[in-house]
Amino acid sequence: MKNYIKLFLAVCTISVVSCEDVIDVDVQTDTLRLVVEASLDWEKGTTGNDQSITLRTSTPFFDTQSTDVIGAEVNVTNNSTGEVYPFTDQNNGTYTTTTFDPQIYVTYTLEIIYDGERFTAEDTLRPVPNIKEVYQDTEDGFDDETIELHIVFDDFQDEGDSYFFKFERPQDLLPTLEVGDDEFINGNEVDWWYEIDDDEDEEIKPLLPGDIVTINMHSISRPYYNYMDIVIDQLGGVGIFESTPVEVKGNCINTTDPENYAHGYFRVTQKNSVIYTVE
Amino acid sequence: MIKKGKRKVRLRWLSVTSIIILLLSYTPVVAQENYTISGKISDIDNGETLFGASVFLEGTTIGVVTNEYGFYSITAPKGEYRLLITYMGYADIKQVVNLNRNQNFNFEISETSTKLDEVEVTAEESEIAVLRKPEMSVLKMNIETVKQMPVVLGEVDILKSLQMLPGVTNNGEGTGGFHVRGGAGDQNLVLLDEAIIYNTSHMFGFFSVFNADAIKDVKLYKGGIPARYGGRVSSVLDVRQKDGNSKRFAATGGIGIISSRLALEAPLFKEKGSFLIAGRSSYANLLLKAAGEDNSVGFYDLNLKTNYKINANNRLFLSGYFGRDSFELGDTFSNSYGNATGNLRWNHIFNDKLFSNLSAVYSKYDYKLGLTFAEFDWVSSITNYNLKYDLKYYFSDKFKLDFGASGIYYEFDPGEINPTSETSAVNPLLLDRKKAIESGLYIDAEHKLTEKLTAQYGLRYSSFSRLGGQPMTEYANNQPVVYNADLGIYERGTAVGETVYEKGDAIKTFGNLEPRASLAYSINDNSSLKAGFSRVAQYIHLLSNTSSATPLDVWAPSGQYIDPQLSNQYALGYFRNFANKAYSMEAEIYYKNTDNRIDYIDGSDLIGQNTIETEILKGESRAYGLELLFRKNEGDFTGWIAYTLSKSEQRTPGGTAGGPGINDGDWYNTPYDRTHDISISGSYKLNEKWSFGTNLVFQTGRPVTYPNGQYEYEGVSIASYADRNSDRLPAYHRLDVSVNYKPNKKPDAKLKGEWVLGIYNAYNRKNAASVSFGQNIETGANEATRTAIFGIVPSITYNFKF
Repeated sequence: MKNYIKLFLAVCTISVVSCEDVIDVDVQTDTLRLVVEASLDWEKGTTGNDQSITLRTSTPFFDTQSTDVIGAEVNVTNNSTGEVYPFTDQNNGTYTTTTFDPQIYVTYTLEIIYDGERFTAEDTLRPVPNIKEVYQDTEDGFDDETIELHIVFDDFQDEGDSYFFKFERPQDLLPTLEVGDDEFINGNEVDWWYEIDDDEDEEIKPLLPGDIVTINMHSISRPYYNYMDIVIDQLGGVGIFESTPVEVKGNCINTTDPENYAHGYFRVTQKNSVIYTVE
Repeated sequence: MIKKGKRKVRLRWLSVTSIIILLLSYTPVVAQENYTISGKISDIDNGETLFGASVFLEGTTIGVVTNEYGFYSITAPKGEYRLLITYMGYADIKQVVNLNRNQNFNFEISETSTKLDEVEVTAEESEIAVLRKPEMSVLKMNIETVKQMPVVLGEVDILKSLQMLPGVTNNGEGTGGFHVRGGAGDQNLVLLDEAIIYNTSHMFGFFSVFNADAIKDVKLYKGGIPARYGGRVSSVLDVRQKDGNSKRFAATGGIGIISSRLALEAPLFKEKGSFLIAGRSSYANLLLKAAGEDNSVGFYDLNLKTNYKINANNRLFLSGYFGRDSFELGDTFSNSYGNATGNLRWNHIFNDKLFSNLSAVYSKYDYKLGLTFAEFDWVSSITNYNLKYDLKYYFSDKFKLDFGASGIYYEFDPGEINPTSETSAVNPLLLDRKKAIESGLYIDAEHKLTEKLTAQYGLRYSSFSRLGGQPMTEYANNQPVVYNADLGIYERGTAVGETVYEKGDAIKTFGNLEPRASLAYSINDNSSLKAGFSRVAQYIHLLSNTSSATPLDVWAPSGQYIDPQLSNQYALGYFRNFANKAYSMEAEIYYKNTDNRIDYIDGSDLIGQNTIETEILKGESRAYGLELLFRKNEGDFTGWIAYTLSKSEQRTPGGTAGGPGINDGDWYNTPYDRTHDISISGSYKLNEKWSFGTNLVFQTGRPVTYPNGQYEYEGVSIASYADRNSDRLPAYHRLDVSVNYKPNKKPDAKLKGEWVLGIYNAYNRKNAASVSFGQNIETGANEATRTAIFGIVPSITYNFKF
């Protein structure tokens, strides 16, 4: 709901704009930080035993060549049982396990020891409602002529559910990320739609018959919603009517040197995955 | 609680009234035999009363300037005098008066040029530095000067013209509002015929809501705000509408490329009254439709004023404004917003020394947002009713007193969401409605201490009661915002319950004494030194965490969690006229600090937010600067050079939330900080047919937040951002030119027309309104994208008058 209003402000910005161009700008450079991409996603109907975590470094803004982090010690602990799942260094920045045991409403702790510093983070696994239907239409969305996909599900009766969606097409370089919460739609049947703008200036085409779309729908914790909400708002830059950009901090705390905090997030989610072919 | 508060106010009111009565009763007990001349000054051609005309007894320093209603009163010892009335652009009047009794003189003065639509080549008296009055930090603009300046798309705009003067800036092209001396947009009290205007812009800031054809006077107080004003800490913009031609029917209008306007004026009731009705409308949709877009954007507004003279001592005025913007994007979004105001005034002259005005004012700002594709709409509004009574007592030539009282009742309706279809997934929602009363009592004296030294000193007592009738959320440890020391971020506090306040209860009451003082020392006939101090309280706040204010921003009252902003401003100035007033110079330095300025925590969410307190931290702001203004007031070539060197910054410690605060509790630039701001404006009259105007502007870029790194996450590049407002947009500069052409018409022709050709941003500078950072969706590379609103914009307008 709120995102619609944010979208409205973003669109206002676009519509008053008469000229946009890419320019050279000098920016400041922060110290390079550890980047944690620890997404333990349990696909509904699978065991969820196989999980992997990626560690990299951040880079200056215009120089996106990051370095894989090798030689870190990575463990995840089930806070309820105390069971520890060690992640094995694959020497390419990824760390994997085949024994993870995901459980609903359980909080997990991530611990990373890297370069003499210890990072920790926590997240709680929440159940995801079943997707009742995925269908396509043109009526809704911004444009009556382009195809949008609809994902239908029932929001849980208790308030406080948050969702993260990731849509990918093989021909697109970047995925589309969206978050939503049930603040204004609690307990309702939700029809979440996804559309790609038909923008003549860009090479990106709207959804067309034959397109294969991978849809991932996660149930996420509230802190992760707060994090992703800002991350997504700031993706692609911030216009004059949108919130001033801010530094977003994830949940990985450096207990050795708090100033040297890590970017990224440790999330534990349950998800639905659907591959839909547009007709 | 509230009963107590009310009683307190009444007591103070009583005591002030008794002081006044005491003062009034002293009148007859004056040793010397003094008499009073009073009356009104108006324009002979259209009957408009003139504000700021000077009335002097020649050869003495006894004199006054007329008030907003053209009224003056002079008291002097018995004797024979020559009364001199001057108003720049008008012919002087001299009248011999034998002051041996109290008498009433009304004067009608005529413009120096007989032609109706003459280009004003001389500035008004009041635009030249007024040396003896303690009034400082005031900008007054002649509406004719405003009309001469080149403007974007040919739309005459008071706010844009004011930004050419020192100490006034905006937040970039295509953004609403204005900023005075490093203050925020919501710290400006904008009054149109005494009614509060909550949003001054049309079309997201491209144009202002003021239709120049309906406006008589514009006065901006950047500091030294007189005690009769209160409620905003940064400035007061007092805009007054014309009363309407009381002599004959007249029409003015213009046809431009964005909008057209028409104003009609005529006498009423056998010249006992008059009216003005003015309308303006954009050619909605035209531009965008022409560009093949399915979108539309447009605005219109309507100004109305009428007055009726009951008798010499009583006059009624009724004025109103209604403006509306609409914005549609295909079938997906629709947005409309606007101000509506009404004001009924009663001018009553008790006697030749006591002038009074009673006003009942209504104003409302509302917006509606329809999100058709998401099947809901959203409405929000702020409404206020204001009753005020202002008196001016001309005690003697050395002592004049302004005093009065006002009460404002506010209704805040921050938002209501309604689904617009059966199938909408959105649930209806009503954000808490809020109510409050703001009242003020003031007394302000203008006191001529010696021939060279004049002081103005006053006191305002303001109070604010946030009224009940709503629940207030209570938080654990009384912390609406909590610092998470582990993650180093501010988070929303935990709600632990609610306190329901009954309608009769006050949730919180504030009271503040606001002293105001200024001093003018005239060094000689051509130069003076002035100093001023003012303290102002502000009880309502505009919530906005975007780079520029949007029409969707919501006003919030002070209360349990938001304290009133309190500002102290100190200013010093040197004023000088050269070459028999042909040139003038003004130099001022100022320092102001404001307590309880709020800022927003990282990731704050203000949309549909019922508990604003969970999104904000309380801090302070300070601003200081040097302003220089050099004007050439006479001749074929007139204009000015304005330069401002300033700093505006704020600091937001963690306070009750704990932690270091925003930006580690260090000072950071406000978005309104401009180190250098240079504006040059000139106009040249070649002959009766041709005249030319130009503007040249240079400004340091606006403080913004740029990335200081990036990382890969979820298959995209995420920017990490540097400290708040620690970068700057590229410097802003542009040149505008305009040409006015008046076709040769017979001098007695009724219709007078003129063509105005303008070029805004003549060298097509791409001034960045914003620079945004993101990933190129085709290559994946990070890039900085500049958004420029106006490139070179030519325009043509035809103005007429008959």
